[in-house]
Amino acid sequence: MAKGSSDLSKNEQKLAYRLLIPAFLILIIIAVYPLGQVFYASFTDKEFASSEQTNFIGLENYDKLLSLTIKELPPKINEETGEPIIDEETGKVEYESPIRVLPRKPYLYRPLNEFNIFGNRYVIGSADTDFINSLWNTIIFTVASVFLETLLGLGIALVVNSEFKGRGVMRAVMLVPWAVITVVSARMWEWMFEPSRIGFFNMLFEKFGFSSGNTAFLSMSEYQLPSLIAVDVWKTTPFMALLILAGLQLIPNELYEAAEVDGANKIRQFFTITLPLLKPSLAVALIFRTLDALRVFDVFQVMLAQKRYSMASYNYFQLISARNMGMASAIGVIIFILIFAFAVLYIKMLGVETE
Amino acid sequence: MKRSLTILLVLGLLFTMSFNALAQDDVELTIAGGSVGIELELTKKAARMFEEKHPGVTVNVLSTPDLANDRLGLYLQFFEAESPKVDVYQIDVIWPGDLAQHFLDLYEYGAEDVVDDHFQAIVENNTVDGELVAMPWFTDAGLLYYRTDLLEKYDLEVPETWEELERAAKTIQTGERAAGNQDFWGYVWQGNAYEGLTCDALEWVYSNGGGTIVNKDKEITINNEKAIEAVNMAADWVGHISPPGVTGLVEESTRKMFEAGNAAFMRNWPYAYSLGNEPEKVISGKFDVAPLPAGDSGNGAATLGGWNLAASKYSNHPEWAAKLALFMAGPEVQKLRATEGSFNPTIKSLYEDEDVLEANPFFGKLYDVFVNAVARPSTQTAPKYNQTSELFFQSVHSVLTGEEDAETAFAYLELDLQDLLGYEIAE
Amino acid sequence: MNKFRENPIRRSLFYLVILIIVIYLLFPFYWALNSSLKSESQLSMTPATFVPRDPQTNEIDFYLTNYEGVFASDKFVRGLFNSLVVATSTTILALTAGSFAAFALGKLRFKGKTPSLYIILAMTMFPQVTVLSGLYAIINALNLGARFSMILTYMLFTLPFTTWVLTAFFRELPIEIMQSAQVDGATPFQTFRLILLPLTAPALVTTGLLSFIAAWNEYLFALTFTTIDPAARTVPVAIQYFSGQFARQEPFGEIMAAAVVVTVPIVVLVLIFQRRIVAGLTAGAVKG
Repeated sequence: MAKGSSDLSKNEQKLAYRLLIPAFLILIIIAVYPLGQVFYASFTDKEFASSEQTNFIGLENYDKLLSLTIKELPPKINEETGEPIIDEETGKVEYESPIRVLPRKPYLYRPLNEFNIFGNRYVIGSADTDFINSLWNTIIFTVASVFLETLLGLGIALVVNSEFKGRGVMRAVMLVPWAVITVVSARMWEWMFEPSRIGFFNMLFEKFGFSSGNTAFLSMSEYQLPSLIAVDVWKTTPFMALLILAGLQLIPNELYEAAEVDGANKIRQFFTITLPLLKPSLAVALIFRTLDALRVFDVFQVMLAQKRYSMASYNYFQLISARNMGMASAIGVIIFILIFAFAVLYIKMLGVETE
Repeated sequence: MKRSLTILLVLGLLFTMSFNALAQDDVELTIAGGSVGIELELTKKAARMFEEKHPGVTVNVLSTPDLANDRLGLYLQFFEAESPKVDVYQIDVIWPGDLAQHFLDLYEYGAEDVVDDHFQAIVENNTVDGELVAMPWFTDAGLLYYRTDLLEKYDLEVPETWEELERAAKTIQTGERAAGNQDFWGYVWQGNAYEGLTCDALEWVYSNGGGTIVNKDKEITINNEKAIEAVNMAADWVGHISPPGVTGLVEESTRKMFEAGNAAFMRNWPYAYSLGNEPEKVISGKFDVAPLPAGDSGNGAATLGGWNLAASKYSNHPEWAAKLALFMAGPEVQKLRATEGSFNPTIKSLYEDEDVLEANPFFGKLYDVFVNAVARPSTQTAPKYNQTSELFFQSVHSVLTGEEDAETAFAYLELDLQDLLGYEIAE
Repeated sequence: MNKFRENPIRRSLFYLVILIIVIYLLFPFYWALNSSLKSESQLSMTPATFVPRDPQTNEIDFYLTNYEGVFASDKFVRGLFNSLVVATSTTILALTAGSFAAFALGKLRFKGKTPSLYIILAMTMFPQVTVLSGLYAIINALNLGARFSMILTYMLFTLPFTTWVLTAFFRELPIEIMQSAQVDGATPFQTFRLILLPLTAPALVTTGLLSFIAAWNEYLFALTFTTIDPAARTVPVAIQYFSGQFARQEPFGEIMAAAVVVTVPIVVLVLIFQRRIVAGLTAGAVKG
C-alpha cells in the first residue's frame, strides 16, 4: 500500500511538472533575456542607440538615483547688525537659498523639500529630484487609486450581484470604462480637463460658480495627481468590480439563507460571510491592481508627459529623451524591487496561501 | 550543326545574363516620414517621381507617428538594432546633433553642389563636425497671428514690440469682455512644459537680447539680465492678457481658441494659416500674420522649426539612400510640396516662384522671418539637446506657474546645464 | 431578498444608486460620443455643449463626417481585425497555459510551489518600457512576425494574472470532488478537464475577458513591433496614426469617433458572455 501511494504522489509530481511546462516555456522565451538584460544594463553606462562604448560602472546609477542629503539652512544675516534678517511682510526669518548650501560634488544636489525642526530650517536635497518625485508620485497614485477602486468596485459588485431586471446589461455597462482603450481614454479625459470653457470640467465648474472656467488642471501641481487618480479610478474600477463579482458568485446562496433564518441582518451577513469568503479573490485582485498601479505609464505619459513623472514614465523619458539606457534600466530594477516588496507584503498580510 | 547551335544558345544566354547584371539590380528603398494626410500623399507622389527617373528602384513610404517623442522612440529602436530596414529618415530640425552618428555624410554624395540653394541657418544646423548629416526639407518659424477686424475696430496698428503687443491685447480684451465675450483673451501661446515652450521662450529671450541658452562657442549664456527680464515679461501675461490655463496650452489648443474667435493675438506655426481660413471657420478671412514683436534687441525672433532628410548609415544601399534624400530635398519636390501642401520650402529661390506665391501669398511677405529664424541650440549641445531643452522648459514653466522666481530658476538652470554638458559659463 | 423586493422605498433607493453608478461609468464615454459628432468649429465652442450645436445659431447640429472618415479608412478596419486576432489568441494561450499551471499549483502536491508562483508573478513586475528594447531584440533575432510577437509578448502581463487568479479559484474548490472522481477511476487530467474546469467557468470567463481587454488595450509593444509592418497594426496604434490633413493638426473628432466605434464590439462581447459567469455555477455541484 505504501509503495502504491508514493507512486501516486510521484505521478502527481510528474503531472504537475508537465502541466507547468507551457507556462515556463513561454517564460524562458520572452522573459529571461529582456529581464536579464535590464539587470545587467543597470550596472553599466550604456547609451541607447549609440556607438559609445559601454562601461561597467557598478552601482553608480543607483547611487545617483537614490542619493539624498540633509543640510541646515542658516538664516540670512544682516551684515551691519549681525542679526538675522526678518521679512517685513510675514514677520518670518529669511533663510539662505538652498542653492548655496547643497553640495555640488560628486553630484549636483537639488532641493526636494524644506522643513523646520526646533526653530532651525533644513533642506532635503537629492541628486535626482525627478526620480525621487516620481517615486513619491507613483506611491501616492497607487495608494489612492487602489483604495478608491477597491471600495467602489466592492460597492458596484455587491449591487450587480443582487437580482434585478437589467442585470445583464448592467454587467456590460460596468465594463465600458475598462473596454475603452487606455491611450484613448487618457486623451478623452485630457479633453475634458482642457484649461478653458471648451473643456467639460471648466464648463461645469463655471456654470455652478465654482471657478472662472480657466483652471489648468494638468498644469497646476495641486490638481495633477487628483486628476490622474480620477481617470484611473474611472478606468479600472470595473476590473476590481468584475473580479470581486466573480468571487461573490462563488459564495453559495445557502449560507445567506441559513444566516437569515438565524436572524442575522444584512450588515452582519456582509462581515461574517461575504468578506471572509471573498478574501482569496479580493487578495488576488488587490495584488494585481497594485502591481499595475505601481507600473502606471499610459496616463502619465499622455496627460502629464514631462510635467510630472511616474516611475515608469520617467524610465521612458530617460530612455528616449536622455538615451541613458543604464540609468533607465536601474530605474526598472528599482521598480521591480518595490513591486516585489509590495507583493510579498500583500501575500503575507492577506494570508494568501502558496502551498 | 546542332552543336554550334547549342554553343550559340549558351553564349547568347550568358550574354543576356551578364547584360542584366550590368543593368541596375532591383533596389528597394524605404523612406520613413510623416503619416499626416497631405504630407503622406505628397511623399508618395515624390517617391513615384523618383521611381520614374530610376527604373528598377522601388521606394516604400513608411508612415511614423506624428508625436515627436513616439517617432523618436521608434527611430532609436531602429538605430539600436542597426536596422537596414529604413534607408532615409525624416528628422526634426533638433535631431541632427543628437543622432549624427547614425547618418551618412551627404557631402560625400554630392551635396556641396546644392547646399548653397538652401537657407544657411538650416544647413549650419545640420552640419556636425564638418559633416552634413541631413538635407533641409521644409521649414517652419514662429509667427504672430492677429485679428485684422479687431485691430480695425479698436483702431490699432500691428504691434512691433512686446510693449505694443501688451497694450493692444489689453485694449482689445477689455473691449471684447465688455461686449459680452467672457472667454476672450488678448494673447495666446504655447506655455505647456514641452519642447514647444522652448520654442516660445527662446523667442522672448532672443528678441530681448538674451542669447540662445548656449552659444555657438559652447558657453552657457542663459543666466543673464535680459533673459530673466524676458521670462518675467511672459510670466506677467499669465492671467492678465493670457489665460491662466496658458501653462497647459499647446499648438492645437491655441489654434482652437484663436479659431473660435476668443483671442486677439496668437503665436503659432504657419500651418494654422490655411486651417484658419477654411470656409466654415468663424475667423475665416479676418486674420493675418506678421513677424513676432521685438524686445530690447530691436528685432523680433522666430524659432526655427521644420524637418530634414537624413540617409541611414545602416542602409544596404547607401549611395541610393543619399540620392533619394537629395532628390526629395531638391527644388522639384519642394515646389510640389509648397504649392499643394503649403510646406515652407528651404530653397531660397522658391520664395520668388510665381506658383508658390500664388498658393501661399504670405510666404513672400515673411521671407525675412524664415531666413532669419533663430535655431535652438541643438547642434552645440549635441548629443544632449533633449535634456538641455527639458531643463530649460521646466525652468521656464516653473516661473510661468509662479512656483519659482526667475532669478533662482535661471541660477539653477545654469548649474544644471554646466553639470549636464560640462561647458563653461560665459562671462 | 424577497423582503427587499417588496419595500418600495428601498427599491427606489436601490435604483437610484444604480443610476448614479451608470452615469459615473458611462458619462466620459458619452462625452466622447458627443465630441465625435462635432466638427472642429463645434469642438472649439465655449462653453462646451452637451449636444453638438451649430456655433452660430446654437441649434442642434450633428456632424457625421468624422464617422465617414473612420469607416472609409481601410487601415482602421484592418486594425480592428488585427486587434481581434491578437487579443483572441493571447487570451486562449494565456488561459490554456494558465489553467494548466493553476491546476498544478492549486490542486496537486509537489515541491517548488511557492518559488514557481513567485517566478511567474515576477514576469509582470517590470514596467513595459523597461523590457521593450530587450523584447525587440529577441523578436528581431527570432524573426517572428509582428502579430505573433505581440501575442507572445502579451503573455508577460496576461499569463501571471490568469495563473494566479485561476490558482486561487482551483484552491477554493473542495478536495472531495477530486477525490471522488479519482475513486471513480478518473486520471487527474481527466478530473481537471471534465470536472474542475467547468466548475471554474466564472473565473475562466472573467480572467479571459480581462486578459482580452488588456491585450486589446496594449499600445507600446504594438507600436514598436508593427512599425515595419503597417498591415499588422492593432487599433490603439491605428488610432494614434490618425492624423489630420496638415502636420500638427489633430483630428480630435475623428479620434473620438474611432474610440466609439472600437468600444462597441467589446461591449457586445461582454453582453454575450456575461451569462456564462452565472451559468457555470448553477451547473456545478458545490455543496458545503
